[in-house]
Amino acid sequence: MALEKIARKIPSSSWEATSEKLIDIVLNSPNANKMPSGLAKTILYYWQRDQLATEIGLQRLLEASMMIDPDKTTSILKELGFQELVTVLENQ
Amino acid sequence: MISFGIEFVPRDLYWKTTFYAIQAEKTGFNTLWVTDHFNNRNVYVSLAIVSAYTDKIRFGPGVTNPYMAHPIVTAQAVATLNEISPGRVVCGLGVGDRTTLEMVNMKPSKPLATIRESVKIIREISLGNNLEMEGKIFTVSGAKLNFKPNSRIPIFVGAQGPKMLALAAEIGDGVLINASHPHDIKNAMKHIEEGITRAHKSLVDLEIAAYTSFSIAKENKKAVKAVIPVVAYIIAGCPPPVLEKHGISLETADRIRNAIIRGKWKDAFILITDEMIETFSICGTPEKVVEKISKLINVGTTQVVAGSPIGPNIRKSINMIALEVFPHFKDKEDKDND
Repeated sequence: MALEKIARKIPSSSWEATSEKLIDIVLNSPNANKMPSGLAKTILYYWQRDQLATEIGLQRLLEASMMIDPDKTTSILKELGFQELVTVLENQ
Repeated sequence: MISFGIEFVPRDLYWKTTFYAIQAEKTGFNTLWVTDHFNNRNVYVSLAIVSAYTDKIRFGPGVTNPYMAHPIVTAQAVATLNEISPGRVVCGLGVGDRTTLEMVNMKPSKPLATIRESVKIIREISLGNNLEMEGKIFTVSGAKLNFKPNSRIPIFVGAQGPKMLALAAEIGDGVLINASHPHDIKNAMKHIEEGITRAHKSLVDLEIAAYTSFSIAKENKKAVKAVIPVVAYIIAGCPPPVLEKHGISLETADRIRNAIIRGKWKDAFILITDEMIETFSICGTPEKVVEKISKLINVGTTQVVAGSPIGPNIRKSINMIALEVFPHFKDKEDKDND
């Protein structure tokens, strides 16, 4: 399943909390240099416009955090109660 | 009027610095300073991208130096940035960091004349003027930019010693005082007053920025842990008179410096005492930070710069400053203005 569809399954009530956790992974991971520059600029674009806690912002954050630290990303999603999404991500 | 600045070191990935810069703007910081060391990412490239992703915050090199970059190149760089972000650019200029200058065999010789002439060159060229000058350090024969600069760029001079502080006040639009302790700012004010008297200026014409080493966290011990390496570096590079003034023995400073040079970080960090942290940083819980900032303001500071490390988690620390520090000073200002 594409990340777009996965992000769509996150309820809007959880966008803020999920976004916060994913931003932390992206900024603080020792693998942050794995982030492609193009994706980084897209994230900055959404951050500048306060759109990281939206469906489109979460898609890009998920893409980045899965690239940078997949284990931590799935563990955070589990913590937030998105076991179904974790299963989908792990089977990709 | 009190304003808040924040310093970023482009040792971090460019997009992290830019992310924090956007956050700094959103949370109400007024000025963003990016350090200039040849071994980090380039200051102007970093500032150009910060400029593209922000709309209001002032920004500039904090500080660049005229030994690594000829002031005419600095003038060109800041004038170009000011075209991208009109009216938002400031220029911080100082003698530079001795350690990195020595790596390329640069000696910060004749610092007072060098800074005086550099400020003249940067100011005239960034205003679009044709400059002819024969100085003790720099000679410029009819130099002028091929484009029309936008607006006057405020120049801040980084200073620590008495003569440089007086010069900074005399020729600068602002003084960046590399200090975190109210006593240091209080002492600096005496020399700043000499400078403004010399230039027939008034103190209100000048921004007095305390460029602090800053660390904030909910738990004091986490803030302390984050600031120890920075304080160790400050002490290692501190001039002997400053150490003596704060009761730190030259022998201790040497031991810290030698441990850092040998890469024995733990040996250096273990020598850092609570008194050293108090002297060379603003560090602790929000309450403690508010108390220290109040003391800096009481002795004349008009801009408090939250410098490296900012905190154990930069993003959380920026939010903490906005939520738990700014309201104390913004509320106070509102009341004062009523």
